[in-house]
Amino acid sequence: MEEMLKVTDLVRVYGRGSASTRALDGVSLSLEAGEFVGVMGPSGSGKTTLLNCVSTIDRPTSGSIVIDGRELTALRGKELSRFRRERLGFIFQDCNLLDTLTAFENIALALAIVKAPAGEIPGRVEEMARLLGIEDCLNKYPYQMSGGQQQRCAAARAMVTHPALVLADEPTGALDSKSARLLLERLEVLNRERGATILMVTHDAFTASCCGRVVFLRDGKLFLELRREGRDRKAFFQQIIRVVSQLGGEMDDVL
Amino acid sequence: MFSKLALRNVGRSFRDYGVYLLTLTFGVCLFYAFNSLEGQGAMVYLAQNQTPAAEAIQVLIDVFSVFVAVVLACLIVYANGFLLRRRKRELGTYLLLGLSQGQVSRLLVLETGTIGLISLAAGLALGVAASWGLSALTLSMFQMDLSGMLALHFSLKAAGKTVVCFGLIFLLVMVLSGLQVSRARLLDLMQGNRKNEVLRQRPLSWSVAQFAVGVLCLLAAYALLLTFGMAMAVAILPICIPMLALGTLGTLLIFRSLSGFVLRLVQGQPRLYYRNLNLFTLRQWISKVHTTYLSNTIICILLLLAMGITASSLGLNQTMEAATRQQAPYDISVQNQSADSKGEIDFMALLEEAGFDPEEKLSGQWSVTYYYNDPALSGTNEVSAVMALSDYNALMASQGREPITLEPGEARVLETWGEDLATGGLGLTVAVTEDETARQLEVRRQVWSANYAGDPEETEEALLPLLRALDLDYTIIMNSKLLIYQDLMGSKLLALFLGLYLGFTFLLAAAAVLALQQLSQAADNTGRYAMLRRLGAEEKLVARSATQQVALAFLLPLALALIHTVVGMKAANDLIAVAGRVDSVGSSLMTALVLLAVYGGYFLATALACRRMSRNG
Repeated sequence: MEEMLKVTDLVRVYGRGSASTRALDGVSLSLEAGEFVGVMGPSGSGKTTLLNCVSTIDRPTSGSIVIDGRELTALRGKELSRFRRERLGFIFQDCNLLDTLTAFENIALALAIVKAPAGEIPGRVEEMARLLGIEDCLNKYPYQMSGGQQQRCAAARAMVTHPALVLADEPTGALDSKSARLLLERLEVLNRERGATILMVTHDAFTASCCGRVVFLRDGKLFLELRREGRDRKAFFQQIIRVVSQLGGEMDDVL
Repeated sequence: MFSKLALRNVGRSFRDYGVYLLTLTFGVCLFYAFNSLEGQGAMVYLAQNQTPAAEAIQVLIDVFSVFVAVVLACLIVYANGFLLRRRKRELGTYLLLGLSQGQVSRLLVLETGTIGLISLAAGLALGVAASWGLSALTLSMFQMDLSGMLALHFSLKAAGKTVVCFGLIFLLVMVLSGLQVSRARLLDLMQGNRKNEVLRQRPLSWSVAQFAVGVLCLLAAYALLLTFGMAMAVAILPICIPMLALGTLGTLLIFRSLSGFVLRLVQGQPRLYYRNLNLFTLRQWISKVHTTYLSNTIICILLLLAMGITASSLGLNQTMEAATRQQAPYDISVQNQSADSKGEIDFMALLEEAGFDPEEKLSGQWSVTYYYNDPALSGTNEVSAVMALSDYNALMASQGREPITLEPGEARVLETWGEDLATGGLGLTVAVTEDETARQLEVRRQVWSANYAGDPEETEEALLPLLRALDLDYTIIMNSKLLIYQDLMGSKLLALFLGLYLGFTFLLAAAAVLALQQLSQAADNTGRYAMLRRLGAEEKLVARSATQQVALAFLLPLALALIHTVVGMKAANDLIAVAGRVDSVGSSLMTALVLLAVYGGYFLATALACRRMSRNG
């Protein structure tokens, strides 16, 4: 399979001297095209730092990140924002829809930013909205939609540009379990039918159980990897829970 | 503890408070500068010479100061409300942390007090400088050199008035913010930023209809103004009220319809709509539409007042300058109206007797007799007075003008009311006849005119008491170039001061309201800009979108106000032209420049600040 994301020996140090913190301490990770990977770990284990580095919001201290054949750490300024808008898609915990725009316009804006032909935009927006089950609320403003609808709208915005890699940071963090399930189900559909490559950071074992693979971070290092390998979701969920409880007190705060 | 928090709050929200502080400072400065007129060189000069206009200026400035204070109070209360709304979350957090509403109110009182003190001090300092500048401007408008009267001056009375006035305004602001906090619900405070105005989508035809009605209203108002002219349209209430109502309604409807209109229009052009960040910029503008159509209308009217008043006052000035020259052909003219009953006066003998040497102090003097008209002798009944040809030609020669010749028995009727025959004018219609004819008529009036040789003010000071003494025996009318000039300068300064005072107040109000709105929105927008950047929008495009939003807000009301002003100035010029000729091109240009400087300054400052904020996010 084609390699979509390759992270090698990533180090990120905050601060200097004795006050420094190694948020990432030599993480290596590889994602194949069409994979759906979850990243778990206790607070402060470096999950978000990893995601920020991959999403070009933060710069690693050392190591390399290659997405779709491009070395990210070599990109600067304009090239970087161009790469970000054309190759990456983002879904955040607080969905960050623009509140002055309707759902339709929020999704269309992502296409306008990548300079998609104006004639294609409405069709592509509607298609993506259908896939995520939000076609009824396209004309609503974010504050008129439920949290789940907003998050699915954010997912549609992230996916509509057909990015090489979708990065999700605790997408279900602010959702009730029903909305969370609906969102995950849709992400799985997109992953399966569209072959979207997704890297998702989460605290929640249930959310992680819909991934094809889950990696665990601790103290800035990767220490365990679980693969679903055809098992049903319930069995995978049990396995994740077992890991989490084996880690005992250390990961108390994740459940 | 509280004062520490209050001080830190003031310091921290300096970005928001910056424009607020600036506006307050300008307000104080404006108020002080015009209230300290009394001590300024030009006014001192006019008061010394007992020009009636000096007192009128004082009284009118006092009256208008009340009005200006009300406008500034509204502006400050509005600005403060704006800041409070922006800080809803912060105030909510204080309440959530367990501060009582009384304590939060006290915090706000302390903050307002601090801001008030800073702006009062800065405004007064700036006001002293502005007062000096205004003084230099007005002194330079006099024909004679009065630069000696220019001095840095601090008026305790004006300062006291300013402090009392603004103290009251700040007190009002404190009470209002306290009220607002004590009435607010915690939930609303915490969700303060989240609530957008709900935009109801109306059909396009609704917007078009609104726009059409708006345009019709404006056309009707313009028609009223231009048909009846400025004087009647303003003075007669049954015309004035519908005109103003139609104008305001028209402006309001146009601004209101514009949002729905423009959205539909641009949405119909997918290439424009989906280009760069246009979609975002447009939505940003429209999301504020429910507050902006009202404030746009108010700002448009304020701008109209600012431009109209400043242009008219400057235009009137130039008219008056021309008038002085026309009205004063001689340095002094004394009219002996009792010449028919009491006989003529020998001015030369009188002056010499009193120790005034006419040879040395006067460069020329002319005594002219005017006679009652008798149609039987003069052959004309169109005039009320007659003068001799030799007298007339002597006067013409003194003014460097061509003499006239008459056919035998001819009576030449002069077209003027004697404005060019004596300073201050005769108020008589005059015919010139041959000397023999004129001398047979009955004496009506004697007019003695003279030009000064040395320093005009010294000469006049020596001359006036001697001539005033004649009042005991004769009926005397005395006019001098200096008196007329001071009188005209008085009216000129009155028009200029009031015009500038009001014009600047309105301009300040309009620009400050806009700047505050935009800055506060830009602060709301930082999160949105950060989001755009995360989506990969180029830095340049984000900054451009920020600038476009500010430009839309500033230019839209200005555009409509300019149209209003052009129509208004046309009507006003007709009015000013009654008093004399008007050079409106010059005054309009001058107005445009001043306006551009202040409004453009606010626009630039706001646009730059908004761009900076879009980057910082």
